[in-house]
Amino acid sequence: MTSRTIRIVVPAEAGHMPLLRTAVAGVAARHGFTLEEMDDLRMGVEEAAVLLLRQSTGEPITLELELLDDRIDAAVSTVTNGEGPAVDPESFSWRILSSLADEVHTEHDGALARIVLTKHPTQSLSA
Amino acid sequence: MTQQYSRDDTKMLFKRLRETEDPALREELARLHLPLVEYLAKRFKDRGEPLDDLIQVGSVGLLKAIDRFDLDRGVEFSTYATPTIVGELKRYFRDKGWAVRVPRRLQELSLRLNKVVAQLTQDLGRSPTVPEIAKATGVTEEEVLEALESGQAYSTTSLDAPTGNDDEDTPHRLDRMGEEDIALDNLEYFASLAPLIEQLPEREREILYLRFFKGMTQSRIAEHVGISQMHVSRLLSRILEFLRSGMEGEADY
Repeated sequence: MTSRTIRIVVPAEAGHMPLLRTAVAGVAARHGFTLEEMDDLRMGVEEAAVLLLRQSTGEPITLELELLDDRIDAAVSTVTNGEGPAVDPESFSWRILSSLADEVHTEHDGALARIVLTKHPTQSLSA
Repeated sequence: MTQQYSRDDTKMLFKRLRETEDPALREELARLHLPLVEYLAKRFKDRGEPLDDLIQVGSVGLLKAIDRFDLDRGVEFSTYATPTIVGELKRYFRDKGWAVRVPRRLQELSLRLNKVVAQLTQDLGRSPTVPEIAKATGVTEEEVLEALESGQAYSTTSLDAPTGNDDEDTPHRLDRMGEEDIALDNLEYFASLAPLIEQLPEREREILYLRFFKGMTQSRIAEHVGISQMHVSRLLSRILEFLRSGMEGEADY
């Protein structure tokens, strides 16, 4: 399985979040996703980015898109002001993320928190 | 004669609605005036949006007018409702509208894409991919992406744009049976969101529920609610944005 990564780092400011949405949509389009799936990823990345932005200490926010043969892993991460996972699995945000992505998981290492969304393109799988 | 009857009907329905607050009367009034919405929506049909979507938008205006109409003013309801419906339609175009300067070429392509996407969705029985859209439209994938992006631009810019002061509608409790009741129960589970969700129009609340609680795809919601998938997409973005800003205390749907 081949894997390539695209990494975009933006300042922790609301005005830069649209760039992350645009980037993920463009990458997803080239990875065989349908418009709807692109839209899901776009909204998911935005939700994750906004969540992290709220907890940010001012350190930049990173979007990493890992392109795998059968999926994209979109990871949003930053340094937060807490030490726990960035999303509470009981929250509405979690509900949104898990509806939009095929899988969601969080990782944290001290104050560094990551939200990872996995999405498979239905089309290229069946083609 | 028919017209006269319907005017009398309207007056009587309003009188009873104000007395009883019966939502069935509100629906009856809406049904009775749907032709007015259709007539007004058609005036906007050459701007590249599906007529069904416009009728939906106009219907929101109609409901606002029904809720605000004052029988004692002595004006005909249709006279009163027309500017409200037209206002809602104009606001829709302004909101989605090319607030950002989008080059004309892209505007035109974006409008064309709406049609192509609708057609492909129907033909394929699913949402199309960008290569499929490019092929059907006869433009490059880059151009498709660029045009889609410009169509999306509205959703970030409209957030900053003033939404006007006609939005303080008191929302109406859901009175329909079944699915929608479950929707409300489920949504209210998230206590902090409940007051915000209460502010959403019924259709938006239903879309929120179907997407995030029933896991329905946008296309299926589009079918279910009777609007286009792209409209569902726009509404979802707007709803999420509203909920986010609401949690920070600056909500205005």
